[in-house]
Amino acid sequence: MTSVGNSTGAFYERSLSQMGALRVALETYQTQIATGERIMRGSDDPVGASRLRALTRLEVRGATEEENAARLAQDLTEGAEQIGGVVELLQRARELAVAAANDPTGENGRAAIADELEQMSDELFARSNSRSITGAPLFAGTAGSPAFIRDAGGNVSYNGNGQNGSVPVVPGTEIERGVTGEQLFEFDVAGTPTSTFAVISDLAAAMRSGTGDPAVAAQDAIAGIDAALDNASRSQTVIGTRLAWVEAIQQDQQSRAINVAEKRSDIGDTDIADTIVRLQQTLTALEASQASFTRVSSLTLFNAL
Amino acid sequence: MSTSILNIGRTGAAAARASIELTAQNIANATNPDYTRRRMEQTELVGTGRIEAQHRSTLNGVRIGDVQRFDSEFGQRQVRSSTSDLARTETEMRALGDAELALEETRLYEKLVDFEASLTLLESDPTDPALRTGALETARQLSQVFQSAEFALGNTRALVEDELTLGVSEINATVSELSRLNVELVTAREGSSGRAALLDARDAALRDLSGEVGIDVEFDQFGGVEVRILSNPPPPGENGVLLVSGSNVSQLTASQNSGLVTLNVAGTNFTAVSGAMAGRSAALADIAGRQTELDAIANSTISRANAAQAAGSALDGSPGQPLFSGTGASDIALVLGDGAGLALAPAGAPAGSRDTSNLGNLIAAFGADDGPIAAKDRLLLSLSSRISGLGTTRDGLEIIKQSAEANLLAETGVDLDAEATELIRLQQAFESNSRVMQVATGLFDTILGLR
Repeated sequence: MTSVGNSTGAFYERSLSQMGALRVALETYQTQIATGERIMRGSDDPVGASRLRALTRLEVRGATEEENAARLAQDLTEGAEQIGGVVELLQRARELAVAAANDPTGENGRAAIADELEQMSDELFARSNSRSITGAPLFAGTAGSPAFIRDAGGNVSYNGNGQNGSVPVVPGTEIERGVTGEQLFEFDVAGTPTSTFAVISDLAAAMRSGTGDPAVAAQDAIAGIDAALDNASRSQTVIGTRLAWVEAIQQDQQSRAINVAEKRSDIGDTDIADTIVRLQQTLTALEASQASFTRVSSLTLFNAL
Repeated sequence: MSTSILNIGRTGAAAARASIELTAQNIANATNPDYTRRRMEQTELVGTGRIEAQHRSTLNGVRIGDVQRFDSEFGQRQVRSSTSDLARTETEMRALGDAELALEETRLYEKLVDFEASLTLLESDPTDPALRTGALETARQLSQVFQSAEFALGNTRALVEDELTLGVSEINATVSELSRLNVELVTAREGSSGRAALLDARDAALRDLSGEVGIDVEFDQFGGVEVRILSNPPPPGENGVLLVSGSNVSQLTASQNSGLVTLNVAGTNFTAVSGAMAGRSAALADIAGRQTELDAIANSTISRANAAQAAGSALDGSPGQPLFSGTGASDIALVLGDGAGLALAPAGAPAGSRDTSNLGNLIAAFGADDGPIAAKDRLLLSLSSRISGLGTTRDGLEIIKQSAEANLLAETGVDLDAEATELIRLQQAFESNSRVMQVATGLFDTILGLR
C-alpha cells in the first residue's frame, strides 16, 4: 500500500542537512580567515596548490640565489681590496725604481731600497695567497690553496688553475667568482713571460748585489712594473664591473622575490574582505534558518489536543 | 436487539482502541528511521442468512483487520542504489584524503626543494665545510622524510585494509540476519504487527547492506529476499553473485594482492561494482599506485645523487662515494658520513678544488622536469585532482541520495500532523461508540421499566 504524506522525519532530516551545510561553510570561512590561507589541502584547488608549490620552489631558490649573490659580492669585495693593495704596492715599487734609476743613491741607499722591495715582495706574496672569509683562496682559480708557492730559492710560482668558476645568481645567469692568480700576477714583458713577483725580486736582487749598473737595472725594471700595474688595474676594473653587476642582480632578485610573493598571495591567501562578507552572509542565513526551524517545528497539532 | 446494539458499540470501541494503539505506535516511532508507518484496516461485520425466500442480515459491527504497512518497494530500491553509489565515492574520497594528508603533511616536496637549495648554496663556496655539512644534513632529513611519507602512506593503506576486513564481517553478519528474517517471514501471519516489524527489519538490513556493497534484491511471496552482490564480472545470465536465498547463505571473503582486492563468494572471484567495498578497493589500488610512485621518486633521488657522486671527486680529490643507499622510499638512507665526501668537482679534480661543474650537473639532474621534485609535484597534483573530482561526484550523489530518501520518507515516514488528526478522529469514534453502548443500555432499561 502506498500513499504520499509529509513525513515529519523527512522535515527534520532536511533541516539538519541544510543547517549542517551552512555550518560547514561557516567553518571553512572561519579557518580561511584564521589561517590567512585559502587552500588548506591540495584537493581544495589542485592546480592552485601545484602553482603554490612551484612558487615555493621559486621562493626558496630565490632566497638561495640571494645568499649566493651576497657571498659572491663579499668575495669580490675582498678580492678588490687585495688588488687595491697590490696596486699601491706596485706604485710604491715604481717610485723606488724611478728614484734608483735617476738619483745616485749610493750603497746604503740601494740597500734601503732593496730592503723595502724585499718587504714588498713578502707582502705581495701574502696578498696573492689571501683568502676569503670562509677560508677559500681568492686567486687560485677553482684549485685549492695555496694559490702561489715559493721555493727555497725564493721563486714564486702559480699553484692554481686558469678556471675562475662561476656562481649562478639568477636562472640563466652565472657570474665568475673573481680573477685568477695568472690573470693578476703573470704577464709578458717584451715577449718574455714573467710575473710581478719576479719583477720585484729581480729588482731587489739587482739593488742588493751592486754588480752592474743599478740605475740601468732600475730603468729596466720600470717597464716590468708598469706591465704589472697595468695587469693589476685591469683586474681591478674587471672585479669592479662584476661587483656592479652583482649589485644590479641583487636588486633584480629583490623585485623577483616581491613578484613571487605577490603571486603567492594572489593564489593562496584569503581575500579577507571577501571572506568576511561571505562569512557574514552565511551567518545570517544560518541564523534565519535556525529561527525558522524552531518556528516551523513548534507548529504541531498536538498543542491543540 | 439491544444486546446486538451493545455488541456493535463494543466492536466499534475496540476497533477505535486498536487504531489508537497503532497511531500511538506510529507517533512513538516518528524518529525511528527504519520504521514504516502503519494503519489498521477495518471491515464491516455483517451476518447474512437465508431461510427459504427470506433474506436476513444481522449487523455485528466492525472487525479489526490487518495491519497495513505503507511500503514503497521502488522507493527502497532507489535509496539502496543511491546509498551504494554515495558510499563508494565517499569511502574512496575519505581514504584518498588520508593519503593526501600523509603526503602533504610529511612535507616531502618542501624537503626536496630544501635539498636542491642546499646544493645551490654550495655553488657560492663549494669548499665551505659549513655549507657541505648543511647539504649533507638536508640529505639526511630528506631520506627520513621519504621514510615517514612511506610510513604514513602505508598506515593509510593499512587503515583501509582494516576497514575492508570489517566491511566483510559486517556484510556476513547482515546476510545471516537476512536469512533468519527470510525464515521467520515464512511463518509470520499475514497482516500481523509482527510481520510488519519483520519487514521493517528486513528493509533496514537491506539498506545497511547496500551501504557496504551494491546489491540486487528479489522478493518472494512471503516477503523474503534473494540478494545478489552486483559484481564484475557478473555470472552468466545474472547481474550479480548470489549471497542469500531463503535460509541459504554464502559467506563473503576478501583477499588483497598488492592493492588489488578480490572478493569471493562460493568459489567465484569478482570485484564489487558499488558500495563502500568498491570504494575501498578503488582506494587501495590508488594508494598502492601512489606508493609505487613514491618509491620511484625515492629511487630517482637515490640514483641521480649516486650517479652524480660517482662522476665527481670529493673535497680530498678521491672519487665520489654513493650519497644514499636503498632502492625505494622505505629503505632510503644516507650513507655518506662527511660533508667533505660530497663530490662537487668533476672526476680527477685535485684536492680542495673549487670547480663546481659536477655540482651543477647534480642540481640540473635533480631539478629536471623528469626529476624527483617535478615527479613529487605531479604525484600530489594527480592525487588532489582525483580527490577534487570525487568531491564533485560526491556532491551530486549526495543530492540524489537525499531526494531518494525524502521520496521514500514521503511514502513510508510518519507524519505527526496526520497522526494527530487521526488521534482526534479515533478519539471521537471511541466516544461515539461508547455513546452507542449507553443508548443501548438506555433502550434496555426502557423496556425493563415497562409496567
